[in-house]
Amino acid sequence: MNNFSQLLNDLLLTSSKKKKIILIYKYFKKSRLEDKAWALSILLNRFERKFLSSKDLKEMITEKVGNTLFKYSYDYVGDLAETISLLWESNENIRSNINLSQFMRSISECSDKEKLKKKIKFNLDSSSEDQRYCILKILTGGLRVGVSYGIIKESLTIYGSRTSNEIEEYFHGFQYHFKDFFEWLDGQNLPGYIDRKQLFNSFMLANNFKYEEFIKLNSNKFTAEYKWDGIRAQIIFSKIGKIFSRGGEDITQSFPDINISDSGYYVVDGELVIKKGEDILSFNNLQKRIGRKKVSKKLIDKFPIHFIAYDILFFNDLDCRSLPFLDRRNYLNDFIRLKKLNNISLSKLINFSSWGHLKNIKENTLNNHVEGVVVKKKESIYQKGRVLNGWYKWKRDPYSFDFIIMYAQRGHGKRSSFYSDFTFGCWINNKFEKLVPVGKAYSGYSNEELKKLDLWVRNNTTERFGPVRSVKPGLVIEISFDNINVSSRHKSGVALRFPRFSRIRWDKPISDVSILEDLKKLINS
Amino acid sequence: MMTETKINWLVKKKQGLYCIPGDFFIDPIAPVHRALITHAHTDHARPNNKLILSSKETLELMKLRYGNNYCSTHQSIRYDETVSLNNLKIRILPAGHILGSVQFLIEYKGYKLLISGDYKRTFDLTCKTYEPIKCNTFITEATFGLPIFNHPDDKEEAKKLITSLTNNDKSTHLIGVYALGKCQRLITLLRNLGYEKTIYLHGALMKISEYYSEVGISLGRVQKVSDKSPSELISNLILCPPSSLNDKWSQKFKNTIKGYVSGWMRIKQRVKQKNIELPIIISDHVDWNGILQTVNDVNPSEVLVTHGREEALVHYLKSLNYQSSALNLIGFEDENE
Repeated sequence: MNNFSQLLNDLLLTSSKKKKIILIYKYFKKSRLEDKAWALSILLNRFERKFLSSKDLKEMITEKVGNTLFKYSYDYVGDLAETISLLWESNENIRSNINLSQFMRSISECSDKEKLKKKIKFNLDSSSEDQRYCILKILTGGLRVGVSYGIIKESLTIYGSRTSNEIEEYFHGFQYHFKDFFEWLDGQNLPGYIDRKQLFNSFMLANNFKYEEFIKLNSNKFTAEYKWDGIRAQIIFSKIGKIFSRGGEDITQSFPDINISDSGYYVVDGELVIKKGEDILSFNNLQKRIGRKKVSKKLIDKFPIHFIAYDILFFNDLDCRSLPFLDRRNYLNDFIRLKKLNNISLSKLINFSSWGHLKNIKENTLNNHVEGVVVKKKESIYQKGRVLNGWYKWKRDPYSFDFIIMYAQRGHGKRSSFYSDFTFGCWINNKFEKLVPVGKAYSGYSNEELKKLDLWVRNNTTERFGPVRSVKPGLVIEISFDNINVSSRHKSGVALRFPRFSRIRWDKPISDVSILEDLKKLINS
Repeated sequence: MMTETKINWLVKKKQGLYCIPGDFFIDPIAPVHRALITHAHTDHARPNNKLILSSKETLELMKLRYGNNYCSTHQSIRYDETVSLNNLKIRILPAGHILGSVQFLIEYKGYKLLISGDYKRTFDLTCKTYEPIKCNTFITEATFGLPIFNHPDDKEEAKKLITSLTNNDKSTHLIGVYALGKCQRLITLLRNLGYEKTIYLHGALMKISEYYSEVGISLGRVQKVSDKSPSELISNLILCPPSSLNDKWSQKFKNTIKGYVSGWMRIKQRVKQKNIELPIIISDHVDWNGILQTVNDVNPSEVLVTHGREEALVHYLKSLNYQSSALNLIGFEDENE
């Protein structure tokens, strides 16, 4: 328990991603197999939580300190596990040396609630404060230590003998608690229950390319498709069926409106978007569907999912990955004709005669949700990861617009003493009196520019709210963004996609900045 | 006016607590003609009062901070002395908060009022230890007036800093401390644990630390940060006011580990919020159990609670059959301690 509670504590106090990866790696290195297996399932929240409810825990603590003192304390701390860990008076005379796996086994095996309560009480009594916090966090869930699947995957890659690709492909096939997973990382064979056909296959990824690079290539050897603003997904059509995200996470539950069951085995690569009638909707709409474990019928009707298929990896047991792209397209075409599903369609190939022509098509497409094009070599085989000489993404030129800085916020980690996150806005109407906030940007400037911006913020502060400062309107910045959409969530009525600094206009007077109406004209222009 | 209280010769005015028969204020927030000052922290001791009465150290610290505006006239009291004023008797007792901090025991017609100001019960090399005394009405602070606050051992906390200094010798440790009291207490704790290297101080901490040395509290080798270049300070300890941890001044140091020495560091979510990597839980205020212990020791029939989390404490004291209410004074800062 000690090592794991120390790990949680260290993770909480570290904001650097690199340090977090090392902390987790070191924990895995020094811990016993059973302990690290449980730790992994806790960090990823991948285990059955049939323990005590928050209500039970609240009852346990109010029995000790009374309702009023608990309420005042909880109001102050704001986190149930932490409140209880601070309020619980432990018995200094008993100190248990229970390790994580013993604890987890003992509470997982217990099916009687009263007995379970007794066990938890005993463990809280015999623990230090950090250990209590750890126990309670396990019970309540929601660790809030800033650890993502990506961070854990990286520490596992350093830890074991498997590559990042292998972990990505196989990890989701293992069941909690991941004892056999660690054995596999250490070099042992896959456990028998793992069915390769239910596992994720690493994606082929595209490289960013520019016009100057394309013109060196013979355009006849390439095809092009639109790149939609959705999320990349891999669908396995099989008896059980699975949908995986770009990182290999199982997202099947979020999209029950795609019929993935099939007596055969087909693996298809494509993009998930929201489509109503003939219209593909903006990414904001898709966000309503991402990350949900349960999806209501209402939500499905309001935001119907659509899968734009652009590649096929397996066609009924035939591994297509070593076939050239155009051959795979034929199989993909067959698959789509065979399935006849109305929310799956084939990604269209664009007819183009030269790179210049394609550039023209890319920039002038009327559809606002096209991010650009993906160019693929006709002969390319399907390879894992970002390989040279295969796929290229060619983004549309970003939009750009001049705004005025309104608020600045301190950054995190290395940037914690710099005002590095900027809220910007433009004039609300042509009276040029009031500003409306439009978005937030925290990248695109150089380190030198950041220092200058920081100084400017400090010299032009009008008010402070914690880590945020409001500043006197005075500095114009040119912001680039990939897309602009109507949004009811924002006061301005628009949402920008990936806004970042492109230039700081130290010279430009704020009276030259345009009004909101002009910005809105960019929508579907 | 105050809520129902037993004591009827103490009232709340807009400048702060006012004692009617003595015609003086206690720790007023605006200038008055006569004031009793418990200690020299800026939210308790403000400049420009006419006459102030306090311990010798508090008066000297106020002069150091405010210059000649610290008051027009002053009177210092010794610990063994009783001052008579109108029909009142006034005594001071150590409060254990910081150097020079006192409690006032005010007796009027046989009724004893104890105003403790800010106080703590833990041993501290930089000030006299709190002395309890029997009274009828006790005024206590409630900065940490919730049962979640249970300060750990200060030596163990100081050890955390030494361990971090040892384990991260390629980093610059930048530790936020309150300029008066906390800074010097931390230094004495570190010295007692055998940390002998020069400790570097932000300019704002220098004057007060020099005063501590002058009155015989030994701080070992301390030096102004600005004497050194940032690369010379790697592997060293720098103390600064908490507000400087995130200001421009802190940007020049290399590979920093930021810490904060405060009772608030008990709350993990707060630590996270403040971007602190090295929380050190040392406080100059009593914790929950310390308050309850003190109430028990001074044995009053009434407890009045000021600044902090009054509600929980008032509720709990009532359940123990004390008459208790919140004073709801304004002007005392939560963050400074």
